[in-house]
This record gives sequence, structure tokens and C-alpha cells, in this order.
Amino acid sequence: MAGEGDSEPRKSFKLLGFLDVQSVPCSRESVLYGSVGSLVVGLGYFLATSRVRRSCDFAVGGFICTTLGYWFYCRYNLAQQRIRQRMLKEAVRNKILYEGSHLDPTRKQTGNERSDS
Amino acid sequence: MANHSQLGFQDASSPIMEELVEFHDHALMVALAICSLVLYLLTLMLMEKLSSNTVDAQEVELIWTILPAIVLILLALPSLQILYMMDEIDEPDLTLKAIGHQWYWSYEYTDFKDLSFDSYMIPTTDLPLGHFRLLEADHRVVIPMESSIRIIITADDVLHSWTVPTLGVKTDAIPGRLNQTSFIATRPGIFYGQCSEICGANHSFMPIVVESTPLIHFENWSSLLSS
Repeated sequence: MAGEGDSEPRKSFKLLGFLDVQSVPCSRESVLYGSVGSLVVGLGYFLATSRVRRSCDFAVGGFICTTLGYWFYCRYNLAQQRIRQRMLKEAVRNKILYEGSHLDPTRKQTGNERSDS
Repeated sequence: MANHSQLGFQDASSPIMEELVEFHDHALMVALAICSLVLYLLTLMLMEKLSSNTVDAQEVELIWTILPAIVLILLALPSLQILYMMDEIDEPDLTLKAIGHQWYWSYEYTDFKDLSFDSYMIPTTDLPLGHFRLLEADHRVVIPMESSIRIIITADDVLHSWTVPTLGVKTDAIPGRLNQTSFIATRPGIFYGQCSEICGANHSFMPIVVESTPLIHFENWSSLLSS
């Protein structure tokens, strides 16, 4: 229906003033997972050792490692997805372009099957 | 084009610019991690008493040597990949020349026909309603979309720079030298840029307007212009 959906553009939220987590793919998940990882590691270390200062150190380390770790994993998958999208786009375009002509790849396959039988 | 309060990149209209935006996001995430660490260490140090008891710091020196090396490698590898990608030259579909003058650009399409024109900024007083101030030009550089375009850039008098941010192109125009760059416009549209090397009084008033169209429209335009 008209009028439904995003009527206002989303306001950007910049972490530390420069990372726009809403528009950069994978950044929101990285920061969220990083925060959870930081809590888990820090709290876990504190429960195990009751050392406050060192728990904070581990919490910060956990944040950085989890954020960066998930970031690389997510960006790698995103890059692979983009490559697959490009290949798919190219294949669809070629199929439409060459359909029915001697360059049609599906026609070549059918021709090979007939010659084998 | 960018809006008035924009800080980030414009949306990419070429594969190289898409890669540059991705790399920029990657670099910002690494910067976020480093800034978080530095902020935390700074806070710790502000809460500590000053001490001169440290005489040996082998472990921490090892850490702050190896970690920055790892960070540099994480940044350098994708950066070099894009750098070499930018220097790849596939067989271009179209070659055009851009010549910087004080204070306008002239373009030559000499592949198939002898086609050349000048591109002056449209003054604000003559600007039609809804057009962009200081960005519109009387003649646009029309290029076919999804085709490899090679552009050879030079200047007639002083240094200029041919820039179109959304295509990821910025190349200096140097008198007596031919600089070459190539790009592919992945989508149709009108892309704006401005001269990026100080060249005199009207340096801010010699914009670049690139119009990317499907090939058939590009052929119509070129035949109209050359006739």
C-alpha cells in the first residue's frame, strides 16, 4: 500500500564518531557480538578469579578479538556472495543475449547429449 | 553527487569504487578496534599512580611490536590488491581525452569520429530551477554504461585534476604529460565532479559532468553531435 514502509530515512549512528554501524554491512553484528563477547569473557574471568582489574583487561581484549573475528568472517562471506551475484548476473544476461543462437550454452549441451545417444 | 552535510563517500558507480568503499569500511573497523584499545589504556593510565619502578618490559615490548605488524598486514593486503586492480588495463571499448584549461574542460572523442567539445560551468544566474549550483556544465561527457572507458588526461596551461568521486577517478592533468586512467560505469546516471588541483581564480568553477547511458543512446548522441 502507498505510504507504508520507510517514510523517513534512518538516522545514522556513528560509533566513536566515525563508524556508521547502520549503513556499513556487518558492522552492527560485529559490534553487537563484540559487546556480548566482551561481557562473557570479562564476567567469566571475574567469576573464576575475582580479579576486577584483570577482568576488565580481558573484557576489552574479548571485545576487540570478537569484533574483529566476526568482522573478518562476515566480510569474507559477503565478498563471496557478491562474487556469486556478479556471476549470476552475468549468466542471466548471457542466457538472454544468446538464447536461440549458436552461442547458447544450453543448446550446446543438448547437442552433445544427442551425439552421445 | 554529495549532499550538503555528507561526510562519507558517494554511492559507488564503478567496480573500483565499490572495492574502495569496502576497503574503507574494513579500515574503519580496524581503526575502531585500535581506538577502543587506546581509549581503555588511556583510562587505565589516568587512574594509576605514577611509578618509575619498571626496569624490564620484554613481554609488553614484544606485544606492541607484533600487534602493530599484524594490523599493518591486515590493512596492506587488501590495499595492495585494490592498487594493482586499479592499474589493470583491459582492452578499452572507448578512449577519450580530457584537457584542462583555465577554467574549463575540453573533451575529444577520436576513436571513430572527430568529435570534440568544451565544457564550461553553467553560471548560477543562468541555472535552471532544480539544477545544482557550481556543478552543472553546458556539455556533459557522455559515455556508454558497462563499457570499459579509457580516459587520457592532460592540461593546456597549469595543473588541473579530473575527478569524479562516484566513479573512483582522480587523475592529475599536467601540461606536457598524458595521464591515463580507466573505469567502467556500472549504472546509468549523471555523475558530478570538480577540478581537484588549484589552478587559479576560477578553480572552483570548472566542474566535470559525466553522463552514463546505454550504448544505443550514446550512439545517437555521438551521431547527433558530429553531424
